[in-house]
Amino acid sequence: MQQILIVEDSPTMRALLTSALEALETPVKVTEAESGFEALRLLPRNSYDLIVTDINMPDINGLELISFVRNNASYRTIPLVIVSTEGSERDRDKGVGLGADAYLVKPFEPGELRDVVRDLLARPRRTE
Amino acid sequence: MRNDLADLTDQSGGSGDVDPELLNGIFRSAHSLKALAGLFGFEPIQELAHRLEDILDGLRLGRVALGTAALTLIDEAVNVFGTLLERVGDAEAIADAGEQIADLSNRIEVASHESPPEPGEFDALDLDSSLLRALTEYEEHRLRENIERGRHIVIVESTFEIISFEEGLSELSTAIREIGEVLSTLPAPGETPESQIRFSLLAATELSLNELSSRLNFPSSSVRSVYRADAASGVAAGVTPPAGVVDEIAHEVVSPPIVAHETVPENENLQSLKSISDTVRVDIRKLDELMNLVGELVIQRGALGDIVSRLMSDTKTARIGSDLSKVYKAFDRKLKGLQSSVLDVRMVPLRQVFEKVSRVLRGLRRELDKNVRLEIRGADTELDKLIVEELVDPLMHTVRNALDHAIEAPEERLAAGKDPEGRIKIEAFQRGNHVVIAVSDDGRGIDTDRLRAKAESRGLVGHDEVLTRQEMLDLVFLPGASTRDVVTETSGRGVGMDVVRSNVTALGGVVEVASDWGRGTTISMTLPITLAIIQSLIVRVAEQRFAIPLNSVLETLLVEETEIQRSEGREMLNLRGDALVLRRLAAEFCLDIAEDDGRRFVVVLGMGDLRVGLLVDSLEGQQDTVIKPIQGPIQVVDGIAGATELGDGDPVLVLDVASFFDDSSRGGREAA
Repeated sequence: MQQILIVEDSPTMRALLTSALEALETPVKVTEAESGFEALRLLPRNSYDLIVTDINMPDINGLELISFVRNNASYRTIPLVIVSTEGSERDRDKGVGLGADAYLVKPFEPGELRDVVRDLLARPRRTE
Repeated sequence: MRNDLADLTDQSGGSGDVDPELLNGIFRSAHSLKALAGLFGFEPIQELAHRLEDILDGLRLGRVALGTAALTLIDEAVNVFGTLLERVGDAEAIADAGEQIADLSNRIEVASHESPPEPGEFDALDLDSSLLRALTEYEEHRLRENIERGRHIVIVESTFEIISFEEGLSELSTAIREIGEVLSTLPAPGETPESQIRFSLLAATELSLNELSSRLNFPSSSVRSVYRADAASGVAAGVTPPAGVVDEIAHEVVSPPIVAHETVPENENLQSLKSISDTVRVDIRKLDELMNLVGELVIQRGALGDIVSRLMSDTKTARIGSDLSKVYKAFDRKLKGLQSSVLDVRMVPLRQVFEKVSRVLRGLRRELDKNVRLEIRGADTELDKLIVEELVDPLMHTVRNALDHAIEAPEERLAAGKDPEGRIKIEAFQRGNHVVIAVSDDGRGIDTDRLRAKAESRGLVGHDEVLTRQEMLDLVFLPGASTRDVVTETSGRGVGMDVVRSNVTALGGVVEVASDWGRGTTISMTLPITLAIIQSLIVRVAEQRFAIPLNSVLETLLVEETEIQRSEGREMLNLRGDALVLRRLAAEFCLDIAEDDGRRFVVVLGMGDLRVGLLVDSLEGQQDTVIKPIQGPIQVVDGIAGATELGDGDPVLVLDVASFFDDSSRGGREAA
């Protein structure tokens, strides 16, 4: 079963993301991280097939997380989806520039998220 | 292709300026190479060709930085192709190379995602581009602020074990926070990536590098200076330009503090030019037309923004979306400039209105034989010309009332210990997104008892009704509540405050009254600065969407139904100690209530001192809206100011904020 890591500090949002993803036709295992730091701890322990992250978070922000993931040989090819508030186009562009595969703006339709995730999970992952 | 590539390497190594034709040529070659790769029927090769074409495309569009990294990769790719072509018959050799090719493809792909550092504000800082690229807008703002305040910027780097980094990092951050601000925390793989993790903390501090190093005595950590604020930048900080205008410019230009210096004198020049007064008379209808056109453009811009978002949220189109986004941003900037210029043209100072009122007042003064001095403040305050024109009447009425009713005859004033000369002050000032015009007098004040009696006799107030002092004062806004029994010539009939209120409300504003018995009265009119294009908050209530002018929105909250208290037929919320009156939009407009999950969003509206909370089902974002008045056979409903079009083309009703305030909107400040 494929594993998805969600990084999001708002509990409400986490719940929303998890329920949206658990409704995917092909079942996936969703792991929730409530901060960038937790994500950093979880990454080495499991093999994730996709990461969904927010941008504005207290300790390290989403952009920093993406930068870390893309610079790390072990995680470099994991597809990354940003889910963030309408706040900043600049941040969005930076996210995609840093290597995120897609950017969704809250509030989003759960179906939209599933479409993006389904598409990314279906692609053959390049192995190192 | 090899030759071209060699030329390219030479050129970029030299001046850094590259012949675009050269790049284009190489790009076209790569394109043909891709077609050729198809002949191999071997996927990794096709993939490599594809990636090569991508990165070259990125280079020629300026999206990817042309540096040794990119060039080396391209060189390697071209070499691989060369070798493959030589071995074209040897299927085995080609298959073997598969892995190597795949790896190269990967590396090229990562490289083509790197966008060139934006001509930066932060160029003067010795910052790693990787750190800069991971700063959110908010963090950039904090960085900018700290630089402007003349603080030193440093990077503190430290490596931790992955299993336990949080503790160490937290200790380090706390230590830094004691003597400065942590702006950003960037993680990177440590030397042994499986077990270590390296953090680079960007911080601002007033301490010198040495002092900082000695304070932060942590193992395996290092401190490096990125920007040293010295005496020079102390001066730059002093030149801190007026917020708003030059802030925008600092964004676009390369080195902020120095440019700020240059723009300040320029503004002065503009000022003096204005006073020489090169003016043109323009028919206001032409301005309305201009305004409409800009409004239409704003709506289209909104639609375009939506499309950009949709493109970027689909992995197949994210890159095109990113390209379009750059163009869209430039367009957006220009449109904002156009918008503010056009709005600016429509703005006129209140001076003209005030002068007219003065003149009339002087005439009246003589007629009524009252000794009054008129003071005017803030005549330079500007408002949209249309609003200013509509203000003449209500302002005139208010001042007349003051002169006529409020100011006592000189003898009476002396007897009360006041200066025989009365004073009426008209003051205008900007408060946030509104302009407040206050007419105050030092006359006798409003007699609330008489007012109440009058209101009762007119059936406007029940005999047993308990009213707060403010509620009694607000009675003055009810039609027919004038306490003058004799209709004077000057004030005439129907010049009650009710007319003033309806005039001001029609402009999207509110009127408030404050009065002290024996001391004086102040009537305050709060108006939006412009009617034309404003930002709105889009909300959803029971399947319908509405737009709420953002300048009246103070904040939004998410509450549980259980937090709402009911008292005296009204619903309220405890907002930081004050009682906020709530109104349910669904009920106000008789809409079917959507299914209840026990949570509601509250949009807190505020104008002047009035507050009210609107209960809606969900918030759907913000956008610029052009409010179009509803005309024709459609009945205008209380609570609706007009209609507008959303970015997706749907029409939506715009709420008339002022109409949601009623006398109860003063909320908790005066307990009943």
